[in-house]
Amino acid sequence: MNPKRKKRLIYVVLIVAGVGAAAALMVTAFQQNMMYFITPTEIAAGAVQQGRSIRLGGVVSEGSLRRENDGLTVHFKVTDNANEVPVRYKGILPDLFREGQGIIAIGKVTADNLFVADEVLAKHDENYMPPEVMEALEKSGAKSPHKPEAK
Amino acid sequence: MWQFFHKLASPKFFYDFSSRLIFWLAIVTIILMASGLYMGLVEAPPDYQQKDSYRIMFIHVPAAWMSMFVYMVMAITGAINLIWRIKLADIISMSCAPLGASFTFLALVTGSIWGKPMWGTWWVWDARLTSELILLFLYLGYMALRASIEDKTNASRAAAVLALVGVVNIPIIHYSVEWWNTLHQGPTVTKFDKPSIHTSMLIPLLLMAFAFKTYFVSVLLVRTRTELLVREFRSSWARKELSK
Amino acid sequence: MHRPSTFQACKSLLKRDLLLAFRHRGELANPLLFFVIVVSLFPLGIGPEANTLSTIAPGILWVAALLAALLSLETIFRSDFDDGSLEQMLLSPHPAAVLVAVKVFVHWLVSGVPLILLSPLLGVLLQIPEESMLILVVSLTLGTPILSLVGSIGVALTVGLRRGGLLLSLLVLPLYTPVLIFGASAVTNAAFDLPVAAQLYFLAALCVLSITLAPIATAAALRISAD
Repeated sequence: MNPKRKKRLIYVVLIVAGVGAAAALMVTAFQQNMMYFITPTEIAAGAVQQGRSIRLGGVVSEGSLRRENDGLTVHFKVTDNANEVPVRYKGILPDLFREGQGIIAIGKVTADNLFVADEVLAKHDENYMPPEVMEALEKSGAKSPHKPEAK
Repeated sequence: MWQFFHKLASPKFFYDFSSRLIFWLAIVTIILMASGLYMGLVEAPPDYQQKDSYRIMFIHVPAAWMSMFVYMVMAITGAINLIWRIKLADIISMSCAPLGASFTFLALVTGSIWGKPMWGTWWVWDARLTSELILLFLYLGYMALRASIEDKTNASRAAAVLALVGVVNIPIIHYSVEWWNTLHQGPTVTKFDKPSIHTSMLIPLLLMAFAFKTYFVSVLLVRTRTELLVREFRSSWARKELSK
Repeated sequence: MHRPSTFQACKSLLKRDLLLAFRHRGELANPLLFFVIVVSLFPLGIGPEANTLSTIAPGILWVAALLAALLSLETIFRSDFDDGSLEQMLLSPHPAAVLVAVKVFVHWLVSGVPLILLSPLLGVLLQIPEESMLILVVSLTLGTPILSLVGSIGVALTVGLRRGGLLLSLLVLPLYTPVLIFGASAVTNAAFDLPVAAQLYFLAALCVLSITLAPIATAAALRISAD
């Protein structure tokens, strides 16, 4: 092999090795633990510093929604099916907010383990269908409308 | 087959060929868009949870699809120009940028309008929204770079390099943003596992997607023809065309 | 005639660039000073509350690092382009990508490394918990080479333009977003005592990928700009 070709081969091998190594590292990265959110369980365990702004993720517990007399302040509980955290929020809730819905609340934990939210976001699921179809599905028990999927 | 492509790369042949194509594409676009909008806005039933608000999807989703697709077209034609120095490829690449930026902008605006009633806010730093925003910045950077280099050949090749760097980066940006998002979002939120959609809504969505595609191609052709005339105004065929 | 090997060429280029950098110490200190000032402006704007500061500190430090890197980018090729030595470099028989890699390495040595060394100090000012200090340094060590490498592509594209500075930031900053995301989130997670391995692996992957591919793109862009 002449030296010029040899040189070129070395460069090609280096490039392939570099891209391969990067791909391997990325795969390793994806295999790592990706649990990075604050769950009600973590709050119950006292893992969260008080007064620190955090994002709480979970599902609104069935039958926990309660409105105060001023019509704006709401109380509800967020659950991850193991623990519950009471949440207080003053403001207008998004359309999709309902019991059993997955939400994200941004706020702080106070001394008595109450979560005071500054903002509540609801996530819609990616199922688009007419109401009748939904009803039919519910009747057949194929799908419960607000069943949270543990992810 | 190859002969046809060679012929197509010649400015004069392309100019004549595309004029016929535009006419038919415009008709197809109008038919597709009219039927898609009718089926989507009138015939399709309201969603079980989002009621009528979801109908903005028929604009939003095709626009978002196009934003990625146009970038790919832009990068591929840029690469063709870089390797084979085909002028026509460069003109197509150049004409793609503002179109792609507009689709991206449209997707962002409609998404934001959709987000207000659905998520309760105009803007969330959701993975898709964020990566779409960065895509818009990439388009703008591409256009800015092209505009600031005076020499046309240099501008086209520099822009092509940038577009190709962007192609490597877009998946990385997308993944990083998606991952960054999961850091904050709740674990039990229902996710995009199986996007299921009823047929009565899927058909207008697909119609609209095709309408956007044909619209893109026809506008792209119009832009390309204009730019061709500008660049070739010294050649005899272009003069003949212009004096018509 | 004796022809030096590529390795020798790299060595003398490394020496030359380091010497040049050393002679322009003041110029090099500017981005660093900028980094310090930007970081110390945030407490003034937000308020001295320790909790708030420590929450946003990783973001501030990383954004400031991004901007400081952006400011120093022009020095990679600017003077060489102006005095014509860049053209000589491209005309040499050695692969341009390798020479570019050497130049970018020098840039990282004189701009990235001081920034890494300085970061723990600023971390203390911003009330970053001690546990995440190590992660801050590690993430910057993995991240700053990417900033130099990806930035070199942008500089190479704009070096021929009279007013390339603003355009450069428009081109480069969107490409920097993944580094920012993973760097800052690693530091944040470390403060919460959450795992950081995933972010660091990702940064390492980006680092290796940009070491491999960025010099090639930069060399191609330089050829176009020098035309």
